[in-house]
Amino acid sequence: MDIFHNIVLGFQVASSWENLLFCFIGVLIGTLIGVLPGIGPTTGVAILIPITFGMNATTAIITMCGVYYGAMYGGSTTSILLNVPGESSSVMTTLDGYQMARKGRAGPALGMAALASFIAGTFAVLMLTFIAPALANYAVSFGPPEYFALTFMGLTLVTSLGGDSPLKGLISGVLGLLIACVGIDAISGVARFTFDNMYLLDGVGFIGMAVGLFAASEVLVNIEEPMQQIFTEAKLNFLSLFPNLQDWKDSFWPIGRGSVLGFFIGVLPGAGATIASFMAYAAEKKLSKHPEKFGTGVIEGVAAPEGANNAAAGGAMVPLLTLGIPGSGTTAVMLGALLIHGLRPGPLLFSTHPDFVWGLIASMYIGNVMLVILNMPMIGIWVRLLKVPYKVLMPLIITISAVGVFATDNNIFDMWVMFFFGVIGYLMRKMDYPPAPMVLALVLGPLVEMSLRQSLTISHGSIAIFFTRPISGTLAIFALLSLFAPLLRIIWIRYKAGKATA
Amino acid sequence: MKKADLITGVILLVLSGYVIQEAWRMPPSATFGPGSGFLPFWLGVLLTALAVILLATAWRRQATEKDSKSPFPGKRALIAIGSVLGGLAVYIVLIEVLGYLVDTFLYVAFLLGIVERERWPMTVGVAVLTTAGLYFIFQILLGITLPSNRFGF
Repeated sequence: MDIFHNIVLGFQVASSWENLLFCFIGVLIGTLIGVLPGIGPTTGVAILIPITFGMNATTAIITMCGVYYGAMYGGSTTSILLNVPGESSSVMTTLDGYQMARKGRAGPALGMAALASFIAGTFAVLMLTFIAPALANYAVSFGPPEYFALTFMGLTLVTSLGGDSPLKGLISGVLGLLIACVGIDAISGVARFTFDNMYLLDGVGFIGMAVGLFAASEVLVNIEEPMQQIFTEAKLNFLSLFPNLQDWKDSFWPIGRGSVLGFFIGVLPGAGATIASFMAYAAEKKLSKHPEKFGTGVIEGVAAPEGANNAAAGGAMVPLLTLGIPGSGTTAVMLGALLIHGLRPGPLLFSTHPDFVWGLIASMYIGNVMLVILNMPMIGIWVRLLKVPYKVLMPLIITISAVGVFATDNNIFDMWVMFFFGVIGYLMRKMDYPPAPMVLALVLGPLVEMSLRQSLTISHGSIAIFFTRPISGTLAIFALLSLFAPLLRIIWIRYKAGKATA
Repeated sequence: MKKADLITGVILLVLSGYVIQEAWRMPPSATFGPGSGFLPFWLGVLLTALAVILLATAWRRQATEKDSKSPFPGKRALIAIGSVLGGLAVYIVLIEVLGYLVDTFLYVAFLLGIVERERWPMTVGVAVLTTAGLYFIFQILLGITLPSNRFGF
């Protein structure tokens, strides 16, 4: 069978000592980032790009993926023990996890979080194994209009689903597309918005921008309010981590449902691990025989969201690998990294670089096993890590960012790009503009423009081409709907309010 | 926040005006199909529309609790942020003069000792470890030539 053959190939690639080592380093760093509040997975992946620059592409992406799903594991630890979510995707875990810890059941909560993550993560990789090649096969026939509609949909979904204000998300996305226009136009060779600066002819450096927008601005936001030192008295030993039989009975279906829900939400561009965990928790509360107990420390309330956020991290790899469309800030940064390594994700990736794709997928199976081993016996060490004060971390994050950005191209100008976007990112965060659409737009910008102009050349300038072809038409209409969804919602609310008063 | 939105709106309007003007001046396509100014032009138009919506909604909306508060922190935090950024700018300017080793040590020491007011032994320790650690990763493991001063380090 073809898939079987591919998986064997993948494991051959993934089990080279180099890939195993870096997979381990990746999940280790990911867990660390997940545990430490004040540094998120997007920042982690962005900082890692320069460091993985010299490796071969497969090893580099294996490391970054390890960070991505490793952070999903680590995020639960502080949520449960300290009521402090390490990442936004583990906010839901605090509700019941912390209550369990207060009742002296921190062990089973942590154990269940790790095991649920493992089960759901493995499920998601399994789904990825079967769905991704099929989708890639289907997408091979896509032409410029389909690609434009697809990237357009990716952008609109990210802006309309992320953040509180869709307007500000849109502004962030449009600015990102404009920044992508800087430099020499790939079709006609005209220099655009370069201000006669030689360094800008190549466009705005992606690494400098991503690191500035995420890492540098995160540091600036964090130094604003000195972080409280947090401690926990929970005593943990290895055996106390195992949930009992009743816990398993209660969690069996929540993990299953969380996995499926999380995976499909992860596949959808724009939604991600955070939304997946919210929805899984809400679904369990609705389906439960005792919804009133949610929030008081029931194990389902830990198992479902923790499963869902890991499944979503796996699901997010489907559109990234098969279509080249990232669904979140973290996967957008990973797409940027792939492009730097000369790999253009998309349907052809599966046939041109099978060793990369399958090696990566196989490494995710291996990484999930490593994470369970890392998280179960070593949880005490992670908890102790929380005592590292942020003020020691802060100079480290900022210098590793600056030196890393320099190192990719041996270019001081890139450090100024990082500086500039650090300030922009800080202002954006303070004024509620989500940074993810901007990075996404910068990465997708060249593809958006190329496919748009090619399509319009084919159609002699008529935009009807995007709507008359079935696949691109469906995608474009879906994109427009998601763009106007906030507006429709306001009209609907007004309509209902009007009806009530009439 | 209301004031911040109004100011951002105006800045975005100016920016979009500049973008439209620049895009208009770009040469038209040599073949049929849209030229290099096509996308920037329409992005400029879109940005104008978004800026107008931002201005209009900020202008019209009743001042909420969030609006009366500035989104920016007090003076002390601003000084801290300014020092980190100012320090970073100096760090970037000096890295080719002082060399990576001296420059990084000084910047970390500045961040920890002056901005964060950590005790000096701790500060020096962290600065040495950070500088050495990054040197090890980038210069030795990854083989990247970090900037050095004229004395060669």
